[in-house]
Amino acid sequence: MYRLRFHGRGGQGARVASKVLGTAAFLDGYYAQDFPLYGAERRGAPVAASTRISEDPIMERGVISAPDIVIVMDETLLQDPLTMPVSGIKQGGIVLINTAHSPEEAKVEYKITAQVLTLDITKIGLDMLGTPILSTLAGGVAARIVGLSEDSLRDAVKKILSEIITDKRLLDKNVAAALYCFNAITPAKIELKTTDTIKKKSTVISVPFEPATVSSPAINATGNTPLRMTGNWRVFRPDWNYDSCTRCMICVARCPDGCILVNEDGYPYTDYDNCKGCLICVEECPTNSLGKVREVHTKKVIGK
Amino acid sequence: MAGNGEIKEDGGKGVKDMVMERIKSIKDIPPEENMLPGTPACAGCGGLLALRHCMKALGRKIVIVNAAGCFTLLTIYPYTPFKNSWLYTAMACAPAGAQGIRDALDILIKKGRLDPEEDLKVVVLTGDGSAYDMSLSSTSGAINRNLDFYYICYDNESYGNTGVQWSGATPFASKTGTTPPGRICPIGSELAKKDLFAIWNSHKPPYLATISPAHPVDLINKFKKAEQYKGPKLFIALSPCPPGWGIDSSYTVKLAKLAVDTGVWALKEAVFGVVTHTVVPKRFKQVEEYLQVQGRFAHLFKPVRQEAALNKIQEEVNEYWNRHKLLL
Repeated sequence: MYRLRFHGRGGQGARVASKVLGTAAFLDGYYAQDFPLYGAERRGAPVAASTRISEDPIMERGVISAPDIVIVMDETLLQDPLTMPVSGIKQGGIVLINTAHSPEEAKVEYKITAQVLTLDITKIGLDMLGTPILSTLAGGVAARIVGLSEDSLRDAVKKILSEIITDKRLLDKNVAAALYCFNAITPAKIELKTTDTIKKKSTVISVPFEPATVSSPAINATGNTPLRMTGNWRVFRPDWNYDSCTRCMICVARCPDGCILVNEDGYPYTDYDNCKGCLICVEECPTNSLGKVREVHTKKVIGK
Repeated sequence: MAGNGEIKEDGGKGVKDMVMERIKSIKDIPPEENMLPGTPACAGCGGLLALRHCMKALGRKIVIVNAAGCFTLLTIYPYTPFKNSWLYTAMACAPAGAQGIRDALDILIKKGRLDPEEDLKVVVLTGDGSAYDMSLSSTSGAINRNLDFYYICYDNESYGNTGVQWSGATPFASKTGTTPPGRICPIGSELAKKDLFAIWNSHKPPYLATISPAHPVDLINKFKKAEQYKGPKLFIALSPCPPGWGIDSSYTVKLAKLAVDTGVWALKEAVFGVVTHTVVPKRFKQVEEYLQVQGRFAHLFKPVRQEAALNKIQEEVNEYWNRHKLLL
């Protein structure tokens, strides 16, 4: 049995990716499970989805704590202490990271002990679909790693997407992109060093009853959300060109998060630590002083 | 009429009695941020933009009572974007929670245990699911009791937080998770949007207004005007929702503007039941312009154009403005 976990951000398509993979496996004649880990649905928030694929009926249920394969659709998640995408990965398992960098660089940077594969899925998505929605692409990559056939991947993408979108051209583009990703990756052999047994001992932690004064989540701080650094949600960053800026303050009034600050000379600038990259400022700027640039995260991190 | 920038004669020193000057342009918006970035709200959230301006107008001496909805996630343990207190209630009872806090503050002041200058404004913050559906009765009660509070409803026309299901605020012909357009019902939601403004206005509250994140000057001036009244002060903000409405996150403000320019969202206020429109477009755009950019109305245009539904939406907008004799 293969246990896979997809990690992405809300709106990126981790849930659909696991569904595409599960469906492709089913069409190839395997038993399959695919399910997302539901939270409050928000674009940009960390999202996880899981897939189990087996030749025999699957008796396991629930969240996969020790995956064989992890697909990281947004590499900034690797540094998020609340998500920890590679936690529980088996020795010899495979971690696929959506990054512009080589497996060696990523392996060193993120201190991953398992085998690492990399592919710039976001770039493929932008080139082939025009949007950074990576569901079918990540599904295609995962199908190759697991060793499924190209035909069932094609059928699975068609089946899943025809339930979601009505645009025939977009569907065809997705099929092409999924197959491109399928062929873009050289699969590594999964060499598990541990034996594949299910833990018998219960891992459920029972918490004793506490009165509400102790157990309720009271926050005794003010204004500390900037610590969360939502800047790593961005796919594109707003890029300033001050030559044409007239200090009209429209961008400041339009930013939902209040991430555009004003310097001493009255010129606005972006708080990149927290800017989520919605690009309303780029859309609203009357003098086109703002452009957008693709955010590539590891270059900065690795170059340190 | 209350003048600009004057202090009312009978007033004390509290902020409440100070009628602040109306602002004229975007440059006059107070620079102080009372809601900090880093919230878990979606990128490009229209409701968050409206709330950010509301918070600027309200200041820091407030306490927010938040019914369950998208904005309960602004404050997730151990983080909060606010500089003020915040209380979480169930979906149906935020106005009841506000009553409790108001009473507690009044009693503390009366007993001399709280300086009147330390008094707080009680602000209820709910989404449309709570305001239009679940807490309608408790809001009605609170307005009837003339509770001194603010109510901000961010209306994204669906139960957005749980994945966009139909709510009482969902407009006619909109696609939601529970009203998917299909073979039997090709138009999506068959029911019209409730007119919450009219429902609330039938109580004749001291101040009631609709606001838009694309019109921050109008928004802030409405809050400033509301400040002079004691009693319920209610605001409904149309809040474009990028995932729910099927728009790009950068398009939120453009769409909020289009809603006003096409006449779909009327910016108005009501003082003790008397309605005035604050922003009336000089020339109304066709409603189609507003509809065709949104994923939730895409089924009205593709694969076949549903002319009857489109006409019905346009006619309802025309009828509204004709009724108010403002359609030019």
